[in-house]
Amino acid sequence: MTDSLTYVPTTCPYCGVGCTLNLVVKDGKELVGVEANKRSPINEGKLCPKGMTCWEHVQKPERLTKPLIKKDGKFVEASWDEALDLIASKFKETYEKHGPKSLGFQVSCRTVNEDCYAMQKFARVAFKTNNVDNCARICHGPSVAGLSLSFGSGAATNPFHDVLNSDLIMLVGSNPVEAHPLAGRRIAQAKLKGIPIIVCDPRFSATARLADDWLRYNPSTHIALINSMMYWIIKEGKHDKEFIEKRTKGFEELKATVEKYADVEAITGVPPERVREIALKYAEAKNAVIIYCLGITELTTGTDNVRSLGNLSMLCGNIGREGVGVNPLRGQNNVQGACDMGAYPNVYSGYQAVAVEDNRKKMEKAWDLPEGSLPDWYGSSLTEQMWETGDTVKAMWIMALNPVVSYPNSNGIKAALEKLDFLVVQDIFPTETTPYADVILPGTCFAEKDGTFTAGERRINRVRKAVDGPGESVEDWRVFSMIAKKMGLKGFEWEKAEDVWDDMRAVTPSMFGCTYERLNRPESLHWPCPTMEHPGTPILHREKFSAADGLGTFFGLEYREPAEVADAEYPFTLMTGRVIFHYHTRTQTARAEVLHYEVPENYVQINTEDAKRLGIKENEHILVKSRRGESRPLARITDEVAPGVLYMAMHFPDGANALTNTALDPLSKMPELKHCAVSVAKITEA
Amino acid sequence: MAAKGEMLYAWTNDPNLAAKAECGGAVTALWKYALENKIVDAVFAVKKGADLYDAVPTLIKDPKDLDDTAGSLHCGTLLMAKLIKKYLDGAKDQKIGVTVKGCDAMGIYELAKRNQINLDNLFLIGVNCGGSVSPVLARKMIAEKFEVDPDDVVKEEIDKGQFIIVTKDGTHKGISMDELEDAGYGRRPNCRRCEMKVPRQADIAAGNWGVIGDKAGKATFLEICSEKGADLVSKAVTAGKIGTEPANPKGIEIRGKIENSMLKLADKWRARDFEALGEGDARLQYILNETSRCIKCYACVENCPICYCETCSTKNPALVPPGRLPVSPMFHLIRLAHVADSCVNCGQCEENCPMEIPNARFMHANQVELQKIFGYRPGRDLRLPILALVEEKSERARLAATGSDQIYLNVFQPAQE
Repeated sequence: MTDSLTYVPTTCPYCGVGCTLNLVVKDGKELVGVEANKRSPINEGKLCPKGMTCWEHVQKPERLTKPLIKKDGKFVEASWDEALDLIASKFKETYEKHGPKSLGFQVSCRTVNEDCYAMQKFARVAFKTNNVDNCARICHGPSVAGLSLSFGSGAATNPFHDVLNSDLIMLVGSNPVEAHPLAGRRIAQAKLKGIPIIVCDPRFSATARLADDWLRYNPSTHIALINSMMYWIIKEGKHDKEFIEKRTKGFEELKATVEKYADVEAITGVPPERVREIALKYAEAKNAVIIYCLGITELTTGTDNVRSLGNLSMLCGNIGREGVGVNPLRGQNNVQGACDMGAYPNVYSGYQAVAVEDNRKKMEKAWDLPEGSLPDWYGSSLTEQMWETGDTVKAMWIMALNPVVSYPNSNGIKAALEKLDFLVVQDIFPTETTPYADVILPGTCFAEKDGTFTAGERRINRVRKAVDGPGESVEDWRVFSMIAKKMGLKGFEWEKAEDVWDDMRAVTPSMFGCTYERLNRPESLHWPCPTMEHPGTPILHREKFSAADGLGTFFGLEYREPAEVADAEYPFTLMTGRVIFHYHTRTQTARAEVLHYEVPENYVQINTEDAKRLGIKENEHILVKSRRGESRPLARITDEVAPGVLYMAMHFPDGANALTNTALDPLSKMPELKHCAVSVAKITEA
Repeated sequence: MAAKGEMLYAWTNDPNLAAKAECGGAVTALWKYALENKIVDAVFAVKKGADLYDAVPTLIKDPKDLDDTAGSLHCGTLLMAKLIKKYLDGAKDQKIGVTVKGCDAMGIYELAKRNQINLDNLFLIGVNCGGSVSPVLARKMIAEKFEVDPDDVVKEEIDKGQFIIVTKDGTHKGISMDELEDAGYGRRPNCRRCEMKVPRQADIAAGNWGVIGDKAGKATFLEICSEKGADLVSKAVTAGKIGTEPANPKGIEIRGKIENSMLKLADKWRARDFEALGEGDARLQYILNETSRCIKCYACVENCPICYCETCSTKNPALVPPGRLPVSPMFHLIRLAHVADSCVNCGQCEENCPMEIPNARFMHANQVELQKIFGYRPGRDLRLPILALVEEKSERARLAATGSDQIYLNVFQPAQE
């Protein structure tokens, strides 16, 4: 018999849209469902397949419930005291012997801001290291880098619903209907309203189906394509001369570069007249918005791809008002927040650079550290830390990440983890990565803690505790508070999530006005919000850009090939992405019955002609190989991908990332997850 | 003593509650009495969440908590029926009092026919409902049409064909629903088409329509619809919890007029909405086009008061291949085939749809067509629907045991009108 029924309004733990939903709690302890929160201005109660089922994994019996220590190759249950003493002594020993660069801290984008802030503060205060990074590195790192260079702020310029104020929506390398469904809804609403939609994507995606105009181009040729669009816009005199004159710099450099891109058909596969047509549609719309995603960023040209979109938007004056802008759709629920919190190797919270002496001094004062103790060097990034194991990096702490599945080159990652002297993995379930740990710590999931997620539109959404975590699990920020106490560190005496948040606010001018009390309103706040009276900033760069000189910057950028292109041995191009039914490495979504029913196994999309030529049948396992590994997905034969191109989602072990390339974008250190060369073969009976 | 069919004005005798209530507080007073005297074990009602645009269902066991549920929230677009099945074990193991709108009552009846809710364990107090407004649209409407900051609104109501707001400083402002709805605001589309303004299948149908004279704003209109309802009112009067007097005949007449005018308006909306769908092949094409946006969230299935199967045909891989977008058109055709005869037009399949598919409009249009042919009106009483029902587990067991794929053989019972 049900004694009590409670609705706890909170934020979905999946993509970066940040939908509000109600967790339904029976008798104060049992999570029994998700119900619509119709009051939410973000999603108005509507949810996607993942949001609908996001409660299902929470109380599964496989949850980690106690700290585990590996003894003689086996995990043995331990007390928190024992586990934390061991971690403290190992990390201290390593630090004393090998210095601050011998430690690596990896922060998750699926957990609350408070956890992210706590971990980076711990790394910096306890071990004076900037070797702290989060998994934005492998999704939107180039957005942070590229948009900062172009506009002075590395975040989305306009909120999701603002597309309804546009006269034209252009999506590039983005499939929100699957990857960000409630942002996809805004596109569907725009379509019903009659707003023209252009989708530029090598694949005929679910979002491309909604488009009025779908442009297919060769994978990873964005810079050539966008340069050519700008060539036509300038040639036809459709650029916004007044905006360029008053609000930007570098136009002459851009103009000189794009002169060379009149005809890019050989690179992009798109004839000049078609490029011109799309370019003029964008330029002639009164208010046009650009939405992009990982098709732009996860390449060795990621930062330049992002800056190219910055160029295009400024060329047509499409920044700083309703209905315009350049908006990255952030992948994970808190990928914006993890970056904002300073879980980054070169900045503190609010993007305050570690290289600036005043910033270090300020943090030293706030964190009660001796002057000159915080490091000024650019720390090692997420995947760099991995490739430095066995060399510089000796011990690592991974919070809520599953690198064996989610980082490029799984075989390489496994070998890298083996080389560590000491590894801590803090998570909610055993994963493909936990076997490599020396200590496993049980964290809590979104339903079991208070906190905040910052959505891709810079809106800070409240996460509210609905039920207790299982067994001895604790809030992840509390782990750092507990170990800091053991190590005699000051500044970690938090009692509740709000204390951690307020600790962050105190050192972060751009979020100082965002108290929990203000965030509790369904509308919440978009940062920057520097004072208690400030209403928040849904739209950036209104009067001037966020850069120090107030100007936007054009860059003349040349097209470069991906690091690894198809050749005789590996004749196919592999693109990667997501499916609507899974979140990342499926730790959570594979435990939702219907999601697992929909996509229980990895598959690869292959073009009809290629399948015919290779004798591949629908739904048979095929062998896909790259220079780094192999995978045996099911074949899905479709014309959604072009001949010579494959598409595989990133969710499965021994899947896409067994194949992907580790080459880095020099500016953002983004690995080239979206493009590598592979071979395909029918599996013949053994 | 109150009797079935009787119409009364009623009010709470508790001055604190009277101050909080909007029109007499009789409903809250009756629930309080029912809880205190174990006539029900719990009351399932709606309270204010983040603000007056946020309606949150709440299960109340302590009579003190009932005060939170007083007053109406026109932005409450919840459907209580499915929640009772999902979270309260279908009222199989406790007696629950439920405050219901027309759609809630109809949904409860349809779920009761399918053995998903034990109607004997429910006590229903219906409330008149002219329709509800989705919270986000309400705020937009208040900002854009009323030119008022929605956070400054302290009370909203729908009265005499107007949506009326009261702001912090006590100012009233009303705009006619027709004007709002022509401009794309106002009630949910299904509410506009709704023909269940006074839920008389509840034990008591309550509301403020028809309360006139010196009792206006101070009493609740009660129409006693069952012996159970009569009994509760009589006992509450005897216990001194509520006061009653016979409803003013003029008030009864006015109430009827309000109801009739709303029904006429609903007819207008039905004609308008269904005409836009076209007929025959054109309608099918329209449905296929709109549903092609589906992303398979299953919210339409999960929230539908007709859907109850443990194994849903939309999850039969032979009918709807799993894991694929766009979704096979069979997904929505299955829903139309299985649900349309009994659709109560609660609107949840549309309101919860993330891809803006007007599901309720299709379903309701088909329900109306089927009603024309078979005469079955869902949600009004306990008559069985056109599609025969099976007890799923035993039917599946029978099929497995006999090797037959012919379901419904032993249970087909066409509805009688």
